[in-house]
Amino acid sequence: MFKRVKLGITLLILLFLLGILMAACNSETTDPEPEEPEETEEPAETDESEEEPADEGPQMGGTLTGAMDTAPAGVFNPIFYQEAYEANILDFTHEGLVSQNEELGFEPNLAKEWTINEDQTEITLKLEEGVTWHDGEPFTAEDVVFTYKAISSPGYVEAGGIRTDYAVRLLGYEAFNSGETDEFEGVVAEDDLTVTFKFAEPNVTILKDVSFSIIPEHIFGDVPIAEIPSHPATLNAGEVIGTGPFQFTEMLEREQYVLTKHADYWNGEPYLDQIVWRVVDQSVMLGLLENGEIDFIADPNGVPAADFETVEALDHVKIIEQTDFGYQLMGFKMNHRTDADVESGALNPDNWVPNEDMSVQLIRQAMAYAIDRQAIVDNLLYGHGSVINAPVAQQFWAYDESATTAYEYDPEKANALLDEAGYVDTNDDGFRETPDGEEWIVNLNYPTGNKLREASAPILAQFLEAVGIKIDLRQPKEMTAYVEELTNDNTDWDLYLIGWSLGSGDPDPSGLWKSDAAYNFGRWNNPDSDQLMLDAMKAPEAFEQSYREEKYSEWQGLFSEDLPAVLLYAQNKIYGFNERLNGVNPMPYSFNNDPHLWWVSE
Amino acid sequence: MYKYIIRRVLVFIPMLFALTVIVFGLALLAPGDALTGQSLADPNVDPEVYEQQREALGLNDPIPVQYFRWISAAVQGDFGNSMVFNGRSVAELIEARFANTLYLGLFSLAITIIVAIPIGIYSARHPYSLLDYGATGFGFFGLSIPNFFFGLMAIYFLSIKLGWFPAQGTMSTPGLTGWEAFFNRLHHMFLPGITLGLAGTATYMRYMRSEVLDVLGSDYIRTARAKGMSERNVLYKHTLRNALIPIITLMGFEIGVLLSGAVITEQVFQYPGLGTLFLSSVTNRDYPVVMAIAMILGVLILIGNLLADIFYSIVDPRIRYD
Repeated sequence: MFKRVKLGITLLILLFLLGILMAACNSETTDPEPEEPEETEEPAETDESEEEPADEGPQMGGTLTGAMDTAPAGVFNPIFYQEAYEANILDFTHEGLVSQNEELGFEPNLAKEWTINEDQTEITLKLEEGVTWHDGEPFTAEDVVFTYKAISSPGYVEAGGIRTDYAVRLLGYEAFNSGETDEFEGVVAEDDLTVTFKFAEPNVTILKDVSFSIIPEHIFGDVPIAEIPSHPATLNAGEVIGTGPFQFTEMLEREQYVLTKHADYWNGEPYLDQIVWRVVDQSVMLGLLENGEIDFIADPNGVPAADFETVEALDHVKIIEQTDFGYQLMGFKMNHRTDADVESGALNPDNWVPNEDMSVQLIRQAMAYAIDRQAIVDNLLYGHGSVINAPVAQQFWAYDESATTAYEYDPEKANALLDEAGYVDTNDDGFRETPDGEEWIVNLNYPTGNKLREASAPILAQFLEAVGIKIDLRQPKEMTAYVEELTNDNTDWDLYLIGWSLGSGDPDPSGLWKSDAAYNFGRWNNPDSDQLMLDAMKAPEAFEQSYREEKYSEWQGLFSEDLPAVLLYAQNKIYGFNERLNGVNPMPYSFNNDPHLWWVSE
Repeated sequence: MYKYIIRRVLVFIPMLFALTVIVFGLALLAPGDALTGQSLADPNVDPEVYEQQREALGLNDPIPVQYFRWISAAVQGDFGNSMVFNGRSVAELIEARFANTLYLGLFSLAITIIVAIPIGIYSARHPYSLLDYGATGFGFFGLSIPNFFFGLMAIYFLSIKLGWFPAQGTMSTPGLTGWEAFFNRLHHMFLPGITLGLAGTATYMRYMRSEVLDVLGSDYIRTARAKGMSERNVLYKHTLRNALIPIITLMGFEIGVLLSGAVITEQVFQYPGLGTLFLSSVTNRDYPVVMAIAMILGVLILIGNLLADIFYSIVDPRIRYD
């Protein structure tokens, strides 16, 4: 009896201790941030807009809640962040000198005007006056110099940085980056509000290169590059400083991220008081959007296509649908590398070994005709996507559908092409044999992770078997293991599935399709294609966009004829938001555009 | 007894050492590394960048070299930095989640014990009564319903439709303190707590019922009753202590299981705990995090079993260690 009472008491004590522990932990970890008082009292301007009789003008104040399905990794620094979830915070807090408009052209942002010299080796930008950092310090040309110096400095990559692409073309990058000199010549502050970028060679993508988000020198100026990723001003809410319309003020790690308005924002005081990001499981998101707990679902994943109709049926939710900057493809392993090259990591097209069958152009084209891509879009994506024929994002000026072959679903034609290539069914087993009369089996490899892509693999296999190609549909592999095998291609792979999410800065496809590009997983080796891509980036002709357009059309035509990959579909982004949110104006590449103009009507 | 405990604790050391070798070997033998997956996210990033980072992180070194580097830091308490959560120390990543997992684990264990043991005893004492049938039905329901489904149903009805409980996370806003934070957390813990505790409750209830039934039918209980002992004493002094032994064994394992986090429950409720971190670290090949969590779990499971063995001797005086 006594023992039992003791057990009960022990249990109670345990529970009690648990309680204290929890309470104690909290008071330690989350000291309440002093609410900035100047923001809570809304002065005259509020009244003005409220007095306007019911004509729905923008109102000051209010809080907006957005949802994302995965928590950001937590590196809130433009020079070190890596993923789209962190970008969802940084889009509000940091800005670049120039930004992209709806046509993907560059327009003034922190820089109000610029001049570019004749041979496009120098650009001088005049900065906006009166821009302040979230902590009240003035924004100057020194901050710009510092930011580019940071991503050029030795040890940046080793510390985890991956944004060197913005700096590599700067004058003196090599010497500075290798530590040969302390002199950084690439970016020079002419005076407080004037900054000049100098490039080693004439630069075709000069405006893209100056568009990188700027970080404050007065915070990071004395911090060694290796320590920036773990610096409090990179990791902690309230200490992350940018020039953007909102400041990242509070966080409940992996659950909630609070952005509070930057009242002194140079482009006008934001209407909203706060934007709260909540991390919400994909399966619960729609329920919370429906009952009003969250106001918008946007980047990076948006509303799943399968739920489009459910969301559309909600009275208080609006939908914006736009094309995504990416596509899914079924690639052909046209060549394999030798064991020695894989071992040494060399990408030398001269050593490549052609993959029998897959290196035959007719076979590749036949497979493209055999697949009903429109049916995949209609059924798998519920129509919320498009069939594309060139590996350039459709939003770009460079995309040219007319230069390509459409490869409409045509099994007859597929059969004819296969017959022509000499692959015919000689033993009447329903499947074709190789021209030598041997059994012909094509393997199809794909990764897990993207549900739609996983679902597309067996469908593709069915389409191909329908024209008599025997497919060995391999077990799907977990992404990391898959990429390893995809890269080290001294294997027997024939077909592979992969998706790319492209940048919005410039349409140049050479990073994915040039023969010596690491991401050219099909090991497509076509000298004409390489030449066209080089030409399209060659100064000074390429300063003219129309010249580049021409070259890219030619290249897209070549791509679609030689067909190193069948482009399966480009998915649409579906943004859903509560109608109380006004002033939304998504850019082709992001929902998070001009949030200082967002406002809520109660 | 103390000697026994010390001996057991000393045995932990080689066991944990073996664990590090096995887990490290498996983690590094898996194809790909922490940068393989990242490298596909943005085709504008030069792959050479990842090659440089690999070199800097030492991922190109032979596995024994990497193991030696890891273990010599680890024995000094330094578990290094995550390779995926750029720049964040493993200790810091685990710290926050460990607390969350601990609260949730203890909360659901408490629910389990408070609900399962009394009902189990009642069912055994009144077998084939209405409540016994009800409890049996509940038991099968609890065991057979998948966690994520129950979680989603709970969210749908109790949170979205009725608004009684919050659906996601551990707190409603950042910056709560004191008792307010405590009750807010408790409120948030309710749904994930019962979801996580459901299967355990059902299991314990069934065990308790059959154990008590079993013991009640034994000779020494008949003797106790025959010598005129009150039914209360029969139950608490003789029956319960014997019936609890298998439950204690179960609980010894349960500590490790609960603290390893419940991946599915954590996911559905977006409750940031060790389970989801462990899973994502394994898929991302973030081996410093994988190793640290594996070590924590190893230690906890060993301790759980040791505690179970110690409790045996308290509950059952026949069991002695020396």
